[in-house]
Amino acid sequence: MLDNYKKEHPQSVNQYMIVQLDGTITESDDVIYKNIVGENISEIHPFFESIHEALQEKNKRHVFSCIHLTDQNNQTIITDIVVKTFDNDKLPMIVILDLTLHYDNYQTTAQVRNESVINSQILELKNDYLQEKEAFKNAFIANFSHELRDPLTGILTFSDILKKTGLNDEQLNYLKVIDSSSSYLKQLIEDILDISKIEAGRLELVITPFDIRELLEDIKKGFKIKAEQKGLELITNFNNNLPLIVGGDPLRLRQVINNLLENAIKFTEVGTITFNVSLNQIRAQKASIHFQIMDTGIGIAEDDVEQIFTSFTQLNKASTYKGAGLGLAIAKHLVSLTDSKISVDSTLGEGSTFSTNINFKLDHNYKLKSIKKTKEIKPKSDKKYSILLVEDSEITQLSILKILASKGNYFLDIVTKGEDVVPRIEQSEFDLILMDIKLPNSYGDEITKLIRKMPDRDHKKTPVIALTARVFKDDLRRYKKAGINDVIKKPFDEDALLSKIEEYLK
Amino acid sequence: MKISKKIVLIGHFGVGKSSLIRRFVEDTFTEDYKVTIGVHVLKKEVKLPETDKDITLVIWDLEGNDDITNTRPSYLIGTNGFLYVFDLTRPATYEKLSNDLDYISERFPKTPIKVIGNKKDLVTNEFIKQNKEVFGRFVDFYTSAKSGKNVEDVFTNLAKALIK
Repeated sequence: MLDNYKKEHPQSVNQYMIVQLDGTITESDDVIYKNIVGENISEIHPFFESIHEALQEKNKRHVFSCIHLTDQNNQTIITDIVVKTFDNDKLPMIVILDLTLHYDNYQTTAQVRNESVINSQILELKNDYLQEKEAFKNAFIANFSHELRDPLTGILTFSDILKKTGLNDEQLNYLKVIDSSSSYLKQLIEDILDISKIEAGRLELVITPFDIRELLEDIKKGFKIKAEQKGLELITNFNNNLPLIVGGDPLRLRQVINNLLENAIKFTEVGTITFNVSLNQIRAQKASIHFQIMDTGIGIAEDDVEQIFTSFTQLNKASTYKGAGLGLAIAKHLVSLTDSKISVDSTLGEGSTFSTNINFKLDHNYKLKSIKKTKEIKPKSDKKYSILLVEDSEITQLSILKILASKGNYFLDIVTKGEDVVPRIEQSEFDLILMDIKLPNSYGDEITKLIRKMPDRDHKKTPVIALTARVFKDDLRRYKKAGINDVIKKPFDEDALLSKIEEYLK
Repeated sequence: MKISKKIVLIGHFGVGKSSLIRRFVEDTFTEDYKVTIGVHVLKKEVKLPETDKDITLVIWDLEGNDDITNTRPSYLIGTNGFLYVFDLTRPATYEKLSNDLDYISERFPKTPIKVIGNKKDLVTNEFIKQNKEVFGRFVDFYTSAKSGKNVEDVFTNLAKALIK
């Protein structure tokens, strides 16, 4: 019965051996390894080949835990092995404790623990990898879009110039296609850049006082023509109680409204587009203004409403309507920067209504006269102005040269390297400097700092206008700090360039 | 003359110590990870024709540990050479490489150590180049237990160092 119990409930078994200093086994109780007297301990298992050094020591006790051995039936046993030496002539003793059952449990626990640690490390690495990939994507988009701007400036400006060269009707029609394609491309680049800014968390509003009614009328003017061209009617209702001047970001507000109106016209074939703006409420120096754009277009299925605000999403898979699907994603984010959101009410086949309440600052110090009216400022037509262009892109140089030459009252001097700017200014007087920001081996804002430090007082006053695609809020702050007066955003067209130059050549 | 030398593989868990030994001793590889607890001891004879000597490597495959100071001292008694193995794909396994090597050198000043970056099949040469300062300057061999790349060389190289 005891033998049965022993088999059914095995506990650790120990084998005792006495060995000579060279490892020869002189005595053994043969509990695990049988008939081994006379053999060298090294022959039992490679483990024992490594303990010869320990056998030579005097009066020591070494315990080797969790040693995997193979028994004479070729079964793995997991053991603790005690090697005991003595300080007299007594031979060393080796005890093998078979603890297989105990260590099997430990093996299971260790397996779970290690796998969990390794998996979490791999997950962390995957996250790092995804973040790096995201950063690379954003940098790639920013750089790639930036590189597209110079050639696009060339297309836009030369298209303008070409228009004035006495083209026939057929040629003018071709030019219209170039114009519309390049404008679309320009918008696409702007949208891609905005999305990359949003994803990088760098899109911020630039709050400034502006005339909201003027902005709405301006938008209305542009879209009335667009709607009419498609045979649609644009109805606008701008409530009379709207504040005159509000604090907000007029460029971004225009972008949101433009996106919503563009979509309304794009997805409506017959009927009307209604654009309503009303004052929601005024509270604590804030005005909440309600914007609503209704169309009688194709509408959106209830299940698809959430999707339309996702980047690169176009519900119309048949590509009937062109577009990258970025506009609404950008609009949604811009509105969210004002702590608001865009709501959609739509019925498939009947039309959609997009509405939002946007908060604007109200300040009694906002005065209409403080808002720049750039269009009214013109240079004296009889005066010749000398302009220095600091620009390494040949396309941009040529574009600016052609635009200014067509006006007849500008002298243009060009330098392509940052280090040539100060010496050129020392030699000649300029009324205005157009400064590219990203130059080979130098930056326009750094060069402007040098100009502002020049001893001649006149150089400190010469207007410097940056030509750049980098117009993040912190970039603009840096330019201002360096002494740059204003920025012309690349890609620009003839109007954008001339109006900015004329603003400073009083 | 029969020469037997004890070499110990040391490093974090999951870096491929057992796989390297299995590739060297049995020339096999498995993707399944089975954690090593305690010690597995295997041996293999290495022929060194240029020295006219054969050497038996008694290879101690120690359980992985993310803290080298927790290694049981008894495992290291009589060690003739170390192979420090880390996983090229997991920074946690080489973040303390320099400290770990100092720890071994201080306790076993005359014992050769070879440093192995394993799982080479999972990283690019560019990655290795970029990490020259992180681990590259310490590494003696980049290995892949999976493909067998450099595995034989690691053990042969250490064997040669042991009989010098």
